[in-house]
Amino acid sequence: MSIKLGFTKSIAFAVALLSLNMTVQAGAVYDYIKTNNELMIATDANWAPYSYINDAGEMEGFDVDVGREIAKRMGVEARFITPSWDIITSGNWNMRWDVSVGSMTPTETRSEVLNFPAVYYYTPAGFAVHIDSPVTTLAGLNGKNICTTAASTWEMYLEGSLDMIDAPAFTYKVTPGTITSLADGHTCLDDTRLGAGVRNDGIIDSIPMIQGAIEDGYPIRFLGDPAFFEPLSVATDKGNDDPELDAEIVRIIADMNKDYTLTMLSMKWFKNADGSSNDYTVAF
Amino acid sequence: MFVDTVIEDKSLHKPAFLLGLSIAVLAFFFTFNFTDTIFGEFLSPVIGNPEESGFFGRLVVSFVLAIIFVLNLLLISFAKLKIQILIVWIELFFLFLAFAYSFDLELAYIFIGEPSKIWLMISKGLFTTIYISAVSIAIATAIAIVGAIAKLSNNGFAYAIASFYTSLFRGLPLLLQIYLIYMGLPQLGFMIDAIPSGIAALSLCYGAYMTEIFRAGIQSIPKGQWEASRALGFKFGLILRKIILPQSIPIIVPPTGNQFIAMLKDSSLVSVLGIWELMFMAKKIGSKDFNNLEMLLTAAMIYWALTIILEIIQARIERKYQQKA
Repeated sequence: MSIKLGFTKSIAFAVALLSLNMTVQAGAVYDYIKTNNELMIATDANWAPYSYINDAGEMEGFDVDVGREIAKRMGVEARFITPSWDIITSGNWNMRWDVSVGSMTPTETRSEVLNFPAVYYYTPAGFAVHIDSPVTTLAGLNGKNICTTAASTWEMYLEGSLDMIDAPAFTYKVTPGTITSLADGHTCLDDTRLGAGVRNDGIIDSIPMIQGAIEDGYPIRFLGDPAFFEPLSVATDKGNDDPELDAEIVRIIADMNKDYTLTMLSMKWFKNADGSSNDYTVAF
Repeated sequence: MFVDTVIEDKSLHKPAFLLGLSIAVLAFFFTFNFTDTIFGEFLSPVIGNPEESGFFGRLVVSFVLAIIFVLNLLLISFAKLKIQILIVWIELFFLFLAFAYSFDLELAYIFIGEPSKIWLMISKGLFTTIYISAVSIAIATAIAIVGAIAKLSNNGFAYAIASFYTSLFRGLPLLLQIYLIYMGLPQLGFMIDAIPSGIAALSLCYGAYMTEIFRAGIQSIPKGQWEASRALGFKFGLILRKIILPQSIPIIVPPTGNQFIAMLKDSSLVSVLGIWELMFMAKKIGSKDFNNLEMLLTAAMIYWALTIILEIIQARIERKYQQKA
């Protein structure tokens, strides 16, 4: 049995593909934002209290509030997009979204593909272990199995390759034996809950996030002092470099620092166990 | 299976088999100690405190469990076939529920809040999942028909393109294809959003699998059908449409239904692009309150319900074609 297909028909598809317009859309991102009257903000939806989906099914959190405020001061609407973290950090956004207001730490590696116009707050990172863990000091975690989020600064810290830009000084206090990097950092917490040394011996994450887990009844406790403080910045795409947009973000963040908007937001979202608030807009 | 006219006695009604089964089940329950579970508590009037009952308690608990199990089988064996199937389904379903219940989860979490978490998932996630799957299924079917015809043609270009396509898209993991289309195409200047990227990846991947199914279905029609149609003077398009495809559809339907079910579930992979579909909602809603497993179980139930609906539709279509044949 055979089926005949005309020669012209079979190559028509290939010709159609090749003749399509292959130029990259380039130009001022800021003009695009103004024309569309919309600032598209990428942020991870998995990080209470930074950015998460609330009970009504809408985005909420510190980063979300900061993003809305930036859009408001630009005079445009804010729209949130929630790609997975590794897609945001890998750059080449191609104008799918305009900025990342997602608590991203500026590092040398990331600055190859992203611009970091303005740091808007600092957050402490720390280690935590199961409450029954025999480990009592940070040194006790050396050679152990530590779990963290893939493509995060915490992972870089564990690897000893944390190349933060303009960050407060820090030292590597832990040299893990094994690093378990998961795409979703929350899975680390669930693994730790199973018991000390079952799937990991400890985790490293941002302290407000661990605090939230403890308040929610997770059987974990902090270990030692904060490992390091990381500056967290708004990020823009280097592939679509737009100095005008970067300058506008620098101006807005400086204003928000000056009129204490950022401090107020930080106090609103970052509470301690005793109910007191944290102002993370200053580095320690 | 073939219809057998020799009907043997049910083995469950033979005393020797029953005895052997009872002993085996008793040994099973005895090996996996059930004394600390709810069954032990239930039998505490007989065995006392379950934790201190020791060998006697363990024996009593496993004995009672074995009796219940075998009696249950025996009673079911007297029912009619359809009732048997129904009862076994219900029992397995309750066992599954008990399994999930034993996770020590806060299952009430799924239903609390205004709107409740489960409604949030259905209202925000379910529609996107169905929409993405339905569009992908339609496109994949179209690709598969063209692909199958091209693979069966004696035109070198058509065959080469189609076989390269099936080889490439069956050879790459779907997750990788999703990333490649989402992040790779913009490098070439084709700027596509998350949902179209997801749909493109699903359609191309399943189009490749279904191309092979359609090709096999068309090929299974005897050569004589083509020759006879040709002898009657029909043109190619007419033969395919009116003679070959109607005969191959009953062969194509079962594996295609399988593909639809698989695609519905694989649509969860596009959650990495930040599309608010079922899997994405399941992962994110629970994370705020650290109730991940509860929401994942909810998503599991919704996916399962969806596939059951698809299975029913598939069974109906199959029955329709069987009647025709």
